Amino acid sequence: MLEKEQKLLEILKSAFQVEGKVIRNRRVEIWDHKEMVPAILLMVKTQLGYKHLNHITCIDWLEEGKFQLVYTVFSHTDKLTLFVKTKIDRDPAIMPNIDDIWDQANTYERELREMYGIEFPGLVGDQEFILEDWDEMPPMRRDFKTDVYAEKTFFAQPGREDAQDVRETITKRSGEEIPEFAKKYSRD
Amino acid sequence: MSFFDLKGLLQPLGAVKQLGKNPHTIKFDDLNRDAADRYRGLHYNDLVACIGCGNCSTICQNAAIDMIQLENIEGKQGDSGLRPRVDNGRCCWCALCVEVCPTGSLSLTKDYIFVSEKSSDFLWIPGIDNPKAEENNRLSFVSTTSGSLSDYVRVPMKEMDSKERILTFDEVVLGYTEEEARKEAARCISCGLCTEVCPDHMHIPEYINAIAKANDDDALKIIYDNNPLPEMCGKVCTRRCEEVCALTHRGVENDPNDKGAVAIRWLKRYATETAPTIELMKEIINHEVAEPNGKKISIIGAGPSGLTAGYYLALKGYDVTIYEAKAKGGGMVMYGIPKYRLPESSLDKQIGYMQAMGVKINFNTEVGKDIMFDEIYDNSDAIFVGIGFQKAWTLGIEGEEAKGSIAAVEYLDIINRGDNYDVGKKVAVIGGGNVAIDGARVSRRYGAEVTILYRRRVEDMPADWEEIEAAEHEGVHIAIQTIPTRVIKDENNKVIGIEYLKAEMVSDADGGRPRPVAIEGSETILECDTIIGAIGQEADYSWLPTSYQDKIKVDRGRMLTNKARQTDDPKVFAGGDAVNRTADAISAIADGFIAVKSIHEFLSK
Amino acid sequence: MAREKETTLYIGPQHPGITGNMMVKVKVQGDTITNASVHVGYLHRAFEKLIERRNWLQSFTILCRFCVPEPDPMELTYARAVEEIEGREVPERAKYIRTMVMEMARLQSFMLWYGGQSGSSGLYTLGQWSVGDRNYLLDLFEDLTGGRIYHMYIWPGGVRRDLPKGFKDKALKTMDYIEKRLDEYDKLLFDNVIFQKRAQGVGIIPSDKAIEWGVVGAPLRGCGIKADVRIDEPYEAYDKADFIVPTFEGGDIWARAQVRRIEARQSISIIRQMLDKMPEGEVYNKVPNPMKWKIPAGEAWAKTESVRGEVGFYVVSDGSEYPRRVHVKGAAYTNGVTVTEKILVGQNIADVSFILNSMGVCPPEIER
Repeated sequence: MLEKEQKLLEILKSAFQVEGKVIRNRRVEIWDHKEMVPAILLMVKTQLGYKHLNHITCIDWLEEGKFQLVYTVFSHTDKLTLFVKTKIDRDPAIMPNIDDIWDQANTYERELREMYGIEFPGLVGDQEFILEDWDEMPPMRRDFKTDVYAEKTFFAQPGREDAQDVRETITKRSGEEIPEFAKKYSRD
Repeated sequence: MSFFDLKGLLQPLGAVKQLGKNPHTIKFDDLNRDAADRYRGLHYNDLVACIGCGNCSTICQNAAIDMIQLENIEGKQGDSGLRPRVDNGRCCWCALCVEVCPTGSLSLTKDYIFVSEKSSDFLWIPGIDNPKAEENNRLSFVSTTSGSLSDYVRVPMKEMDSKERILTFDEVVLGYTEEEARKEAARCISCGLCTEVCPDHMHIPEYINAIAKANDDDALKIIYDNNPLPEMCGKVCTRRCEEVCALTHRGVENDPNDKGAVAIRWLKRYATETAPTIELMKEIINHEVAEPNGKKISIIGAGPSGLTAGYYLALKGYDVTIYEAKAKGGGMVMYGIPKYRLPESSLDKQIGYMQAMGVKINFNTEVGKDIMFDEIYDNSDAIFVGIGFQKAWTLGIEGEEAKGSIAAVEYLDIINRGDNYDVGKKVAVIGGGNVAIDGARVSRRYGAEVTILYRRRVEDMPADWEEIEAAEHEGVHIAIQTIPTRVIKDENNKVIGIEYLKAEMVSDADGGRPRPVAIEGSETILECDTIIGAIGQEADYSWLPTSYQDKIKVDRGRMLTNKARQTDDPKVFAGGDAVNRTADAISAIADGFIAVKSIHEFLSK
Repeated sequence: MAREKETTLYIGPQHPGITGNMMVKVKVQGDTITNASVHVGYLHRAFEKLIERRNWLQSFTILCRFCVPEPDPMELTYARAVEEIEGREVPERAKYIRTMVMEMARLQSFMLWYGGQSGSSGLYTLGQWSVGDRNYLLDLFEDLTGGRIYHMYIWPGGVRRDLPKGFKDKALKTMDYIEKRLDEYDKLLFDNVIFQKRAQGVGIIPSDKAIEWGVVGAPLRGCGIKADVRIDEPYEAYDKADFIVPTFEGGDIWARAQVRRIEARQSISIIRQMLDKMPEGEVYNKVPNPMKWKIPAGEAWAKTESVRGEVGFYVVSDGSEYPRRVHVKGAAYTNGVTVTEKILVGQNIADVSFILNSMGVCPPEIER
C-alpha cells in the first residue's frame, strides 16, 4: 500500500529536506520555500519522470496576507500526482519564474500575473492575456469585490424594485426589532 | 496513396444514397414538440401551497427570483404573504429553487417557448402567468420529498429511559450535544416565519444561524435580547414557533407529531447550556446596566412576566423591587411544573443571574397581607402586576370536597415545595392539558397507577404531544371520551372512586371542533384513592382594594389593559396569565417585555 | 525564389473555422506560418471568481458553463473534488449513472468534432449529419436530466434523479442507430482520399516532446502514448467497464482523428455495459441544507477524461459554506495555447482551423 508514494516522498525529503505527506494513493504533497520550488521542479522533471506540469494554482489567503501556490505535476510512468506547494507574501508578490523548465508555464504565469498580480522576474510575454483594458486591481484577489464592481459598471434591469425581503416583511408585521449585532446572522 | 485511389474517391459518394430520405430536421409546425417528462421549462407555483418563505429566492445564484406582494394574497401566521417572481432573463433553469422548496409548491413545466419584445414581460410570476399549468398536466420538474434538498428529519432528542425515569424526579430530556445541535441548526432555512407566531417575537433564525456557525456566545446574546428566561423556555416552552416551521409542510417525521419542524426549543436549550454559571452568563451576555435614574418600579409577582419586566427595567437604570408571596421566584413555572421537566437549579440560576444584575426580589411577601397595595402604589413611579392564575377551578361535581380530591396546581405546589403528598395506589386525573399530564406523571413517580380522564379524543388534548407521549411511555393510561359525574367516597369522607359517563363525539354544526356528548346509561366506576382535577385556573384579586377597581378593571377574571399593557390607571401595567388569553410562559414574557417599553416611555415623558 | 515579405494575419475571433471566440495571430510568409500566437479574452466570464461568492451547491450550476459542447466532465470533476474533501460516499448506482452520462457526453462531443473536423476541410455534408444525429443523444439527455445542453445533473453526493421509465430501451436503440451512422461517417471521412491527404503529416506533435509540452487527451494518444485518466486513475464505475484506449503513431491530425474514431465506438460500448450492469439502489447521498452546508477545510485535486483530454479541478475549502478556490484546468488550456502555437509554425494558413479542430480547442476552458 502506498509504496510508490512513500518512496517518492522519501527521495524528495532526503534531497531537499522538505516537509510533505502522502495525501492518499496517487497523491503526494510537499511544502517548501519559494526559492526552492524551481530546483525541486527541475529535479522531479528531469530525474523522477514528473514531466507533465498540469497547472499552477494560486489560492489567496487574504487573512494571512499570503498567496499559496500549488504546482501540480504528474508522472505518466508512475501515474502519480505530486503537488509542490509554497506560500509567498501577498504584497509584494514575487515568485521565481519556471518557464525555462516548462514552456507552457509561460501562459500559466502570465495568467497569475494578470489575475493575482504576482510578478515572475524574467517572464517574457504580453502583459495582457485574458483581460483587456483592465485598470482595477488584479481581479482574482479576494479583496476585489465583484458585486461592488458590477454595481458600479452595470445598471439593473428596471421593474424589479418592488422586491421585498421575507424577514423584513415579517418583522414589520409583528413589530419585532432585530438588534444590530444579530443582523449578520439573518438570511442574505 | 495517390489521388487516383479509387476506393478513396468512390466511398464518399455513398452519401448520395441518402437522397430522398426524410430529413432529421423537424418542420416548423412541430416547433411545439412536447418536452421530456422532467424538462426544466418555465416555472409554476401553487400559490395556495406556497408559504412565501423565500428559500427559492435565497438559493438562486443568479439573483433571478424576487419575493413580491401579490393582489389577493394576504400574509398570515406561517405565511409571509409574498410570492416568488422569476426574471426569466436571468434564470438558468438549474431548478435549485425547486429542489429547496420546503412545501413543494414550486416546479418547472414542460413549456419552454415564450416570446415578447418587451423585456418587462420576462418578469414571470409563476402561477399567475401560467395559472393552468397544473390542471393541464404541464408540470415536469417537480420537487420530491426524498430528492428535496431541504432536510426534513429532525435530529432526535435523547431521553432517559421510561422505566428508569418514573423512579426519579431527575430531568427526563438530556439535551443536544454540540454536534447534534450544529446538525439540527443547519436544517433551518432562516425564513423567519416562526418569529411572527412567537408571542415574544424572539430572533429565532438569527440565533439558530449563530449556533450553526458555531458562535454559541452570539446565540445566547441574541436570545437574551428579549427573553431573560430562555433556559426555562428551552425546556418547557409551548413553542408555537415549531407548528409553523416551513419544514413541517411535507409531513416527514421521525415522530408522528414533530412533522419535521426544526427543534427550535431544543436549540435554545442548547445555547443556554453553554453558559452553566451566573458568572459565565454575565460574561457572555454582557448586558450593560444604565446609570440609576432614581425612578422606582414595583412589580407584583415574580413569575415570568414580572421577572422579564424587572430584568429589562433594571438594565435601563430603574430601581426595581419584585414582591413575591412564595419562598422562591418563577411563579407557575416554579410551582406548577414538575422538576423532571424544569429542575429547580436551572430556575435558581436564571433568577440568580437577574438578581446579580440588580433586580431586587422580596420573597415571602404577599401583597395584601405582608405589604399593602396602597403602600406600593404610593412609593412607586410605576407598577407592574403579574400575578398569574393561582386558584384552581373546581370540578363542579358531587362529592369533590372529599378527602383525596385535590386540584392539580395545589398538588404540584406541594410537591414542588419539597413536601410529600400521599396519593395512594390509584390516581385519576381529570383534564387534558399540560397541568393534567404533569399531575399524572408526578403520581407515576410516586408509584401510583394513573388514569387520565379526558372528555374528547387524544388529538384534541391541549397538552404538548411530547408530554402525552412521555406520559404514555411512563405507563399512564388515558381514558378518552369520559365525562366525570360523581366522586364516590367512603364513610370517612375519603375518595374511593369516580363515576363517569362515556361520550361520543358529535360533529359541530357550525364547523367547530367535535363536541363530546354523554351516552346515557354508560355510567362506569373507576376505583381510585386520589382524584386530581386539572381543568383550569383563575386569578385571585383579593389584594386589590376596591378603591382602585374603577381604574384597574377586572373583567371575567382578566385584568383589562391596552396594547401597551397599561391599565386605565396610567401608573399601573399588567401582564401574564391574568391578562392574556394564551396563558403560557412565553406570552407572559412577551407581556413583560412590552410593558418594559411602555413603562420606559411613560416615565421618560 | 526571393524571400517573401512577412505579413501578420488575424484569424478570428469571428471566423467560421475558429472553435469558439478566440483569435490566432499568425505571421506568414507566402502561405507558410512563421509564428503563431493565441489570443483569448473574448468571453472571459470570471467563473472562478464568481464561484467564490456562491455556496458549495450553487457553484455547480455555473460549472457546466466552462465548456458548452461537453459540460458533464466539469460537473463530475467538481463533485468528485468536493466529495473527496468532505469524505462523502456516493451510492453504487449513481457511479454507474455518472459513468454512463460521461460517455454520453463524450459521444455527443465526438459528433460535434466530426462536424468540426470535416467542416474545416470543406466537407460540409458530414457536419450536417453528425450534428443532426447528435440531437438524438440530446433527446436522451433531455429525458434523463431535463436539459439538452446544460444538464446540471451530476452533483456532490450522486446524481439528481434516477433514470426515467423506459430510458434503457430508448438509450439502447439510440446507440444502435448511432453505431450504424458512425460507419457511414467513416465512408465520408476516413475513407475519403481528400481527408487522408489533408490530415496525414499535418500538425505534427513530436512524440518525444508531447508529455513535456503538456499535451493531453486524444492528441497525446495520437503520439503513441497510452494515457487516459479513465485507466490511469479509474473513477466512478470505469474499473468495471471493459474498453480499450487506442493509441496511434504519428502525432498528426490523421492519428488524432483515428483515436477519436475508435473512442467514439468505445463510448457506445461503455454506455451499453453501464446500462447492462447498473445495480439497483439509491442514486443520491443527500447533502445537508445547501445554504448551511459546510465542507471541512481541505484541498483536493480531481480529474476526469473529457473528449478534449484531462479535466482537472483543484478545489480548496476553508471550512465555510463557500469554496475558497475552485481552479479549473481544462484540457484545452495547454493544447489550445502553447501546443497549438508550436505546431502551427511551418504549416499552411488553410490548415489553421483544421489543426485547431483536431486539437479540440475550447476557449471557455482557457479563460474560465
